[in-house]
Amino acid sequence: MDRTLKRRLEARLGAQIQGPIRQRHDQTEIRIQPGDVPDVLRTLHDSVDLRFELLADLAGVDTGNEMQVVYHLWSETSPDWLRIIAEPLSREDPRCPSATFLWTGAEWLEREAYDMFGIVFEGNRDLRRIFMPPDYTSFPLRKDFLLPDDAARSPGEGVRNVERPFAPAVVADDPAAGVRRAPAS
Amino acid sequence: MRALPATFREQARAVRAYAVESRAFALESWAGASPIDRLALVLVPLALFLFVGAVVSAVVMLGPTLDFLGANQPLVRFVVVVLGILLLTVPTAFLLIYMELKVIARMNLRVGPNRVGPWGAAMSVVHGLKVLAKEDFAPTGVDVPVFTLAPVVTFLASVMTLLVIPFAPGIFGQDFNIGLLFFFAMGGLSVLGLLMGGWASFNKYSLLGGLRSAAQIVSYEIPLTISVVGVILLAGTMSLNHIAQAQSGSALDWFVFKQPLAVLIFFIAATAEANRTPFDLTEADSEIVAGFSTEYSGMRFGFFYFAEYVNVFIISALITTLFFGGWTAPFNWPWPYNLNWLDASGIGAAWIVIVGFALLVAADVLGLAIWLFRGRQWSAPSAFGLGFVIAGAGVTILIILACIIALDWVQGIFWFMVKTYIFVFVFVWMRGTLPRVRVDQLMGFAWKWLLPASLLNLFVTAAAVIILNLPSAR
Amino acid sequence: MPTRPARTTSRPKQRPPEQHRSEDDPRIMLDRAVSADLYEPIPPYPTRTEREAEFYTIGDGEMFLNLGPQHPATHGVLRLVLKLSGEQIVDVDPVLGYLHRGVEKICENSDYYHVIDQVDPLEYASALFQEWAAVLAFEKLMDVEVPPRAEYIRVLSAELLRISSHTLFMGFLALDMGGLTPILYSFIERDEIVEMLAALTGARMLFNYFRIGGVNGDLNHEFMSRLGDWMSRAAKQTEANTGLLNENEIFVRRARGVGVMDREMALRFGVTGGNLRASGVPFDVRRAHPYSVYPQLDFNVPTRLEGDSLARYLIRMDEVRESIKIIDQCLNNMPDGPVMAKLPRLLRPHPGRAWGAVEGPRGMLGVYAISDGTDQPFRFRIHDPSFMNLEVVPHLLPGNLLADTMAIVSSLDPIMGGIDK
Repeated sequence: MDRTLKRRLEARLGAQIQGPIRQRHDQTEIRIQPGDVPDVLRTLHDSVDLRFELLADLAGVDTGNEMQVVYHLWSETSPDWLRIIAEPLSREDPRCPSATFLWTGAEWLEREAYDMFGIVFEGNRDLRRIFMPPDYTSFPLRKDFLLPDDAARSPGEGVRNVERPFAPAVVADDPAAGVRRAPAS
Repeated sequence: MRALPATFREQARAVRAYAVESRAFALESWAGASPIDRLALVLVPLALFLFVGAVVSAVVMLGPTLDFLGANQPLVRFVVVVLGILLLTVPTAFLLIYMELKVIARMNLRVGPNRVGPWGAAMSVVHGLKVLAKEDFAPTGVDVPVFTLAPVVTFLASVMTLLVIPFAPGIFGQDFNIGLLFFFAMGGLSVLGLLMGGWASFNKYSLLGGLRSAAQIVSYEIPLTISVVGVILLAGTMSLNHIAQAQSGSALDWFVFKQPLAVLIFFIAATAEANRTPFDLTEADSEIVAGFSTEYSGMRFGFFYFAEYVNVFIISALITTLFFGGWTAPFNWPWPYNLNWLDASGIGAAWIVIVGFALLVAADVLGLAIWLFRGRQWSAPSAFGLGFVIAGAGVTILIILACIIALDWVQGIFWFMVKTYIFVFVFVWMRGTLPRVRVDQLMGFAWKWLLPASLLNLFVTAAAVIILNLPSAR
Repeated sequence: MPTRPARTTSRPKQRPPEQHRSEDDPRIMLDRAVSADLYEPIPPYPTRTEREAEFYTIGDGEMFLNLGPQHPATHGVLRLVLKLSGEQIVDVDPVLGYLHRGVEKICENSDYYHVIDQVDPLEYASALFQEWAAVLAFEKLMDVEVPPRAEYIRVLSAELLRISSHTLFMGFLALDMGGLTPILYSFIERDEIVEMLAALTGARMLFNYFRIGGVNGDLNHEFMSRLGDWMSRAAKQTEANTGLLNENEIFVRRARGVGVMDREMALRFGVTGGNLRASGVPFDVRRAHPYSVYPQLDFNVPTRLEGDSLARYLIRMDEVRESIKIIDQCLNNMPDGPVMAKLPRLLRPHPGRAWGAVEGPRGMLGVYAISDGTDQPFRFRIHDPSFMNLEVVPHLLPGNLLADTMAIVSSLDPIMGGIDK
């Protein structure tokens, strides 16, 4: 619990923080708008009293209603981990600016978030699937994800239908077009 | 139902009887016979006929045949030598493979093969049979003639060098007066085989392996050949037989003491020539799967495999011949020591009787001793069988010792093989111990260190020969 | 003895079974028709991104080589598509996902005990660290106090596993360079430690030992006796094993100056663990964000400045020595008490979010867990250090030779289970 960190963050970021800064155990959490991500990250990285130089994690979260991108950062100036939640990202077209301008290592983390959720990171030069095969047409970690039999053109397609078959209507090249809606029933 | 048999022997008899009874060899008609049966029906009478014919013709034509052979002794010698060399390569390769498996295993704190045969000795044979039994195919896209010939060229390159190596005084293939040059020429042919294999396999790994091997072998040939020129200067000849003879006397006459730098350079360059660790990047299995032999399987791969081990043997043999005296003994052996009272030519055929008789007597005595000592737990035939084996082993050892003492060529082979296998062991030891060098480090080492060192060695030797007015200076 | 009836009819001819052709089977989808065209472009689909197009554009004299998923030395199923110009690497595109099992999704449907079992096979060579990270995050979610004896046992077993993992790393590094012997020595070491841990936890590789609130079972006689045996020779054996490689000129020449990662690059890529410390950044989660009883233990954090493969190797050997010191201290200071906190059988934490990170042998292993009040985590995110470590490979390899691929990739010590989740 680092009270000074809370004060420093409020001083630096002020208007960009949405809602209260929550602190629990050794974590400090702030919420920002997705559009503010580049500014906030740049401020946190560069300012002398904050110096959050290590990107510990970049994760996507699907809360059922919306999507979030969660960053975890570390700094020598504070004993706390800093968690930045960029929300809300819409479920139909989740877009978020990329952090690769600051950390090249975020490239693969963003690829993973895209692959698992469909979140498109603008500015990432290499936003393609990382774990799933390139012709996969669904995003596995979304809450509306059906079983994968019908999401890939695999030999198992249609052989053992556990759920209602869902013919892939789009070609895999277009990233954003692969976002599927859950069936209404 | 018959009652169960009481003892093992009766059980065995019952099983055998059942097998004989149920053997479905009943052959009623040609149409009902399986292909194997048909083949047997045709081949067995044919073979019998041919055998009888061969025996008859041999008996009838014996005289003229012997005259012909006697008149063309060089031809006979050539045929015998070629047969001998070809027959020598495979058992040598087998022995080396087994040695490598076992020795490296022991260095790795493992046991190595110990299931097939006593102490796993039949492992190489099993490997050989395995590669023979595999499917012989060429993958899609390969250049089939080149693909097929590559292992042949590599194997031949290794084997042909055995022609000039002197195993003992009088035991060598041919005594060229440019024997060493022939050796290096044939050894360099292996590059061609590796390149062919690497190029013809429709595979980038093979290509990389083949090109690496070409670069490596070609670079190391130069220090290799220049480093032995010192030996040639000291011996005054390129004939390997004469080089070995020039080192006769005692161990201090060996060229290793007169050419220490050359030994080192030659050893390292020969390791690179034979693609052995630490220079085995052509088959670096952690980078380019198996290098040029990635697409080879079955006997094609078997040829590459054997060629590598024969290579190890021949470079060890060459090191022995050039620097360590070849077939000469390290100390002044009474050479040859004639056991006149055991002169074989005098007694002749009676030797056979004497040896056989001695064998039987020894077997009886030993068998009796074993049977009595073991307290009748062994059956008499088993005891006599064991006695026969022990007696046979003992007699064989005695005969070999007698030959070593009496016959100079047996001695020569003995010393030659001992020294060669010491070097083979060193090569195997290096494989188990050292990691691999990188290709640019390899090339840099050859061109920047070995080549100048070998030139230095050459100049110093030449200067020494002239200044000290050594006998071979002309 | 019953006799077989004599054959009265001729033996029926044996017909070979019908050949099954893959082109005819509708269930098997071939990406292309089997044609005589043997020169297939890679990738066999249109490129999707700018970087992919840049990579798959081939220049003069360049070729693609697949250091494919099946390879004797790629540390698991990793596919590196190399763009080579002769022997020199021009560009690298790692393709992942061959071992992707969807662990995060499975954990969303498992209760909190099962998550620990699921998370073991991520970095299978050092399984306790993933369990520790997960358990740390859950304990923060549930505000659970872990008894001190359990903490010491956790540190003890984890440090043992760290030594085992580093020894294995050494063996594989040597094997990838062509030395056949050190790996067997390192497996002997590893076997001793793994047998010890099997006596303690019941399993040799995927331990399933840590629990929320403690560990599953106290120390026992067999573990202590094996540990005592091992400790009496540990230091000397470590010296002997490292001496195998440190004093080997060929190994040192191949590893020195190869794959140099400087401080800025390491920080930019989020590399953690030994790789980061070999580049000069003394970041160790055990010191930066102490967890468990590490604040009370006295150990150094070895750091080197060169950043090449040799430094990464030497750092791990230094860490082995530090771990031996830690184990010593744990054994001396082990308190008595329970090894498991009292928890309800059905774990239902309050809704919330927690992040827990531990220092694994390869780097910082983090878990971000979101709870929604049910007995299954709502989101279970694993941050794996090997993932970030592997990301530097496309930036380290170009310019080096093909043989250095192994020297560099092995020195980063990737474990594909963690990378592919």
